[in-house]
Amino acid sequence: MSESEQLHDLQQNFMNYVLGEDSDMVDKIESTPALSAKGRLDIYAYAYKSRLKEAITTDYDKLHGYLGDEQFDTVMERYIEKYPSHITNLRYYSISMSKLLSEEAPFNQIPVLAELATIEASFADSFDAADHRFVTVNDLAELAPEAWATLQLDFQKSVQILAMEHNSFEIWKALSDEETPPEATKSEQAVMWIMWRRSDLVSRYRALAEPEYEALKLAKEGENFSAICEKLLDFFSEEETPMKAVGFLQSWIEEEMLSELRA
Amino acid sequence: MSRPFLGFGLGLRTDHYQHVIEHKPQVDWFEIISENYMVPGGKPLANLDKIRADYPMVMHGVSMSIGSTDPLNQKYLQKLKQLVDRVEPHWLSDHLCWTSVDHVNSHDLLPLPYEEKTIQHIVDRISQVQEFLGRQMLIENLSSYVTYNNSVMPEWEFVNEIAKRADCYILLDINNIFVSANNHHFAPRDYVDGIDSDRVMQFHLAGHSYNGEMIIDTHDHDVCDPVWDLYEYALQRFGAVSTMIERDDNIPAFPELRKELAIAEKIARNTLSKEQLQLSNHSLLQGVA
Ligand SMILES: [Fe+2]
Repeated sequence: MSESEQLHDLQQNFMNYVLGEDSDMVDKIESTPALSAKGRLDIYAYAYKSRLKEAITTDYDKLHGYLGDEQFDTVMERYIEKYPSHITNLRYYSISMSKLLSEEAPFNQIPVLAELATIEASFADSFDAADHRFVTVNDLAELAPEAWATLQLDFQKSVQILAMEHNSFEIWKALSDEETPPEATKSEQAVMWIMWRRSDLVSRYRALAEPEYEALKLAKEGENFSAICEKLLDFFSEEETPMKAVGFLQSWIEEEMLSELRA
Repeated sequence: MSRPFLGFGLGLRTDHYQHVIEHKPQVDWFEIISENYMVPGGKPLANLDKIRADYPMVMHGVSMSIGSTDPLNQKYLQKLKQLVDRVEPHWLSDHLCWTSVDHVNSHDLLPLPYEEKTIQHIVDRISQVQEFLGRQMLIENLSSYVTYNNSVMPEWEFVNEIAKRADCYILLDINNIFVSANNHHFAPRDYVDGIDSDRVMQFHLAGHSYNGEMIIDTHDHDVCDPVWDLYEYALQRFGAVSTMIERDDNIPAFPELRKELAIAEKIARNTLSKEQLQLSNHSLLQGVA
């Protein structure tokens, strides 16, 4: 056996112990009168779980509040069991929480849980998304008239569109204000939300009515201004459509969602 | 020897950002946890830049996994290098440990068997990292709770040998010496006596907790008296070494932590001469190499 294979086997053996899998690590380390080999390894096994739980707790504060300590702990135990960490930075350890909650019983019987997790993970992504310049109304004013038709928009990296089938944002807000959250209710139709971070580095969110959502979706996909106007004809008359489209564009600029106008 | 001396620093923690930015308290330097700033942008980096404009910094990592048998994580190293370029720290450090195997990460600082073949493995990897970063690094001694049956040398010999062969420096954690000495039944001063003085570049101080007869490295208490004594002993042996306090849990308000750092300054003033405690000219220190 090569030397690095020996070290590898020792490390694998150690990790198996920490993960609660098959391991004879207790035979590879010293016991002392102060503490047995098992007791010593258990310090690491305990630290592993508590460190991951601490990371999850930090990331899903509102979900924690909604579920209470005991049920949140059940969720964390399951998460840690299902997702051994393959990432370097703990910041990204818990990113599959919404997936776990939407896929697995009994968690998926309360669909608000996965939505709350999505909201919290999206806030985290918005919080430290890449920095870009902000498009200003001046940039728009400087646009040549002939550039409008083919105008494309780049959005801030923090911009995320979230579909919610329940009143999860209201629940999130109540938890955030330390108030009793409202009863979970399902909407007739999914409501679209936008979340983004402004130049003050604070994240915002608001609901999107259908026309704005459709326009935003196309713009984010890289479609140009003419294509967006075309789509808006589904909602507005030929007369009001250009004004509506320009109105959306102006509010996206004023709300600091855009990073570039590409003429 | 001409070891650069930055003075007395603190670990930069999010709880203290606002205080530090608003009040610009007197602290010689800050140590940052590198991984906290390995994100695309937003507040963490904005705060970092603001504070960096007012204070010298060193970078301290927890994820290099220098003792792992997984290949060195190139993506991690690239991000680390980007951060080095942004922060321009006086130096950067990580731990003499492994954190992952078969790409599963424990997010913990796990100990290594102290034997020749481990030394060679780690020396090769530190050399690769130093070559990639274009600068020397510091490696830190751990707090540990297990001793491998196939360890054949005291930890300080292992640390010295790696530092010498990889031509890197040592971040000596005084609290970790105390913790490991208790857990593995050796005399902490033997450790201090055993470390090569000319490789020591920085000290860590921290608090810990008892769990039965074991001491756990929790960084959630004040530095205790026996650790202050060991610090004084280390100053006598090594002379002036840039010193900082690590506090990661149960974090007090900034002024309180600053008071604790004043204890370190006082001990150093009582132990060393004014000449020894002269701060180095910072501009000479861009990269230890
Ligand atoms: Fe340390």
